[in-house]
Amino acid sequence: MDLSLTEEQRLLRSAARDFMEREAAKEALLEFEQSAFGCSDEAWQTAADIGWLGMLVPEEYGGSGSSLTDAAVVYEQLGAGPLSGPFFSSGVLGALTVYEAGSDEQRSHWLPRIAGGREIVALALTEPSYGWEPERVRMRAQPTDSGYVISGTKLFVHDATAATTLICAVRCRDSEGVTLMMVDARAAGVTARPLTGFMGWVGEVTFEDVEVPADAVLGEVGDGWRPLQAAFQKAAPILCAYKVGGAQSVFDVTLEYSRSRIQFGTPIGRFQRVQDHIVEMVNHLDAARWTTYEALWKLDAGRSDPTSVHLAKAVASEGYYQACNHSHEVHAGIGVAREYGLTLHTRMSRTLYHCLGDPRFHRRRIAQTLGF
Amino acid sequence: MDFEPRYTAEQQAFRREVKSWLADNLPDGLEFPADSEDLSYGGYLQLRELGRRLGSKGWLWPTAPAEYGGGGLSIDHAIVIEEELDGFDLSLPPYYDSGGRLGGASVLVWGSQDQKDHFLPPIFRGEVRTWQLLTEPGAGSDLAGVQMSAVRDGDDYVLNGQKIYVGSSHGAEMLWTIARTDPNGARHHNLSWFMLPTDSEGITIQPMDLLITSGEGGAGTGTKNTIFFDDVRVPAFNLIGGENSGWQVATTHLELEHGSGGAIRRNRMVDRLFECAAQLRRGDEPLSADPEIQDLMVDVFVEAEISRLFGLRNYWMRHTGQKMAHEGPQHSLYRKQSGLRAAETMLEALGPYALTNDPRWDLSDGHMEVFQRSSIVAMHPGGTAEIQKVIMARRLAIGRQTREQAGRLE
Ligand SMILES: Cc1cc2nc3c(=O)[nH]c(=O)nc-3n(C[C@H](O)[C@H](O)[C@H](O)COP(=O)(O)OP(=O)(O)OC[C@H]3O[C@@H](n4cnc5c(N)ncnc54)[C@H](O)[C@@H]3O)c2cc1C
Repeated sequence: MDLSLTEEQRLLRSAARDFMEREAAKEALLEFEQSAFGCSDEAWQTAADIGWLGMLVPEEYGGSGSSLTDAAVVYEQLGAGPLSGPFFSSGVLGALTVYEAGSDEQRSHWLPRIAGGREIVALALTEPSYGWEPERVRMRAQPTDSGYVISGTKLFVHDATAATTLICAVRCRDSEGVTLMMVDARAAGVTARPLTGFMGWVGEVTFEDVEVPADAVLGEVGDGWRPLQAAFQKAAPILCAYKVGGAQSVFDVTLEYSRSRIQFGTPIGRFQRVQDHIVEMVNHLDAARWTTYEALWKLDAGRSDPTSVHLAKAVASEGYYQACNHSHEVHAGIGVAREYGLTLHTRMSRTLYHCLGDPRFHRRRIAQTLGF
Repeated sequence: MDFEPRYTAEQQAFRREVKSWLADNLPDGLEFPADSEDLSYGGYLQLRELGRRLGSKGWLWPTAPAEYGGGGLSIDHAIVIEEELDGFDLSLPPYYDSGGRLGGASVLVWGSQDQKDHFLPPIFRGEVRTWQLLTEPGAGSDLAGVQMSAVRDGDDYVLNGQKIYVGSSHGAEMLWTIARTDPNGARHHNLSWFMLPTDSEGITIQPMDLLITSGEGGAGTGTKNTIFFDDVRVPAFNLIGGENSGWQVATTHLELEHGSGGAIRRNRMVDRLFECAAQLRRGDEPLSADPEIQDLMVDVFVEAEISRLFGLRNYWMRHTGQKMAHEGPQHSLYRKQSGLRAAETMLEALGPYALTNDPRWDLSDGHMEVFQRSSIVAMHPGGTAEIQKVIMARRLAIGRQTREQAGRLE
């Protein structure tokens, strides 16, 4: 047994840290927070050039074919910012979905473009009757001579307005199962609109009689759910790693603040009530970290175990959320001042709370995988 | 015991009077933004005008003494007014004003006759609104550690320093603050408490960008500010309670701010949660039909009821002049903590709908989204959760022989 990162992974981590210092310092992140895309073109292109959008793309399709754990090491550092932008949506979830569901021809077409950052892919799955179960997918595709016409609304789509292509989950009349389609985000009838609120880069996409050619169906008609689940199993722990990075960064800042902030003539970290918050934070952080990395290890080692993925996703979402709350209590006033930067994480912990299913969803899944 | 206010014939007549007065005097087109930062200046002026009209009847601060511009009315009359206003989604005062709620009480207890005559009537009649300027960058929980200096010079004091997280949008006519008058004096015996006009020379107000502000026991404040004092001259007459006795004066409004004022308002967020869950569909069923969602809604309901009863009890104790111990901070603590838990439960129950104020998908005119932010921010004003616990422990005499006394309210 050895729970440490490999030498190569440590190098990846320090490269990612350097990247974050250069491209995503706090001032930049505060600007990105106001931007529609989520980051600068430069940060996006640099990440693509380094190869971080293609880590999970096999070499034959223009990626590096890295392990999930390698990718997680990088995404953990992006989460530490937190760096917004469609990195996870396109470079992880999009790439994995195309890989799992696509034909060889489709892989050859899409994966190099995703890895190079030229195509930005986002998954348009959830609808107004919100949820991550297949029953929630109700949008219909009507067959035509040359393909399909789709109409409907997808809601709470992450990175909807940044995407150049949407992987849209629909139901075709001739089949009961879910079908995935690659829909050009600029096609006539497609409108992506950002949603305002205590969330970021989440949008509504409406499809009004959008014509989709038959070869845009990713894989087989009616057989989209199975590969999508396979992609979720791999993508979810990487999203968890992003949250681990966020929780780590919030913890680090809070610990430092507890040492430097003086009230009643003493660092506030000397107050046991403040210590309690930080102890809770580190418990959430470590719980998220180890459930996440064990799930990744199992996947990389070919010991696929859905329970551990659901466990990680439930624990990491909850952990990031709670770490932010405790941090706010330790910081009091200064923590809610936007320029301080903590609220970037608070907002991100909410934005990602339901993505790929919220903690209750994953707990229910655990009940199923444990065979209750 | 009787948990319901009983109304005499005279009070029922009073209710009719209030009803018909409100029908005649409530301005049209009042604004009710979920986020108080969205209240326009025009909307604010309307509320001020309503405040002045209420004030001229003695209904703005109904239980404050009539000789100083208050209503001199009983608690039951005050409840009648609150109930009638509540029907219009309003409460007393209809805008943020620390003067009537907190500062006025300190002047009543600690001011000289001349000071009460001078400062109180404009406050209780709603002619001025007042901000409280306590917190400094280096002094939050440790309020007694404030560094702003006040130096006597002839008939004035000269104030220098900085306050932070204070005030509201749209300005105020008056301020109160505490500052150091004895740089070498012992803790709690080195501060003084001042009332001063906002247009005093040397005051600079800089708006802050916060996640949101919160209600702080009444109408929302909108923007909070940093305020700089550069050689601000304040007449010595404006020093309340005697030089270096400022801490004593502050204990009165701190006591009230720490929850001893009580509250009889409804918690609308619970109703809103129920409404949202009934509106949302999961498949063909409303969300509220799902037993799991019902459990979540009940969690919120139970804690809101406990919070309501703590507030009701404190309101009754305050207005019947009873001695309080841990009750004030208990309500404050419970309100803060249950609010934070409720926000999380609502997020679980409603999903990302709880996070958006998008005009098309928002289910509550923005209130859910605001609550997701304000429940975090509400942990801090008027003393953090930890500080409420510190005070409770002292008041209960946990691990000590004598109970700490509550701040004087009369
Ligand atoms: C929205 C908002 C509105 C506000 N409105 C006003 C206003 O109108 N006027 C005004 O004067 N101020 C106002 N404040 C300031 C508010 O009163 C302070 O933020 C609060 O008292 C905490 O002070 P601080 O932020 O400096 O945190 P700190 O005092 O630095 O606290 C940091 C941490 O240390 C803990 N801590 C400190 N001392 C102890 C102790 N003895 N034991 C255990 N834990 C301790 C705290 O609980 C907290 O967790 C407002 C603040 C906010 C956020």
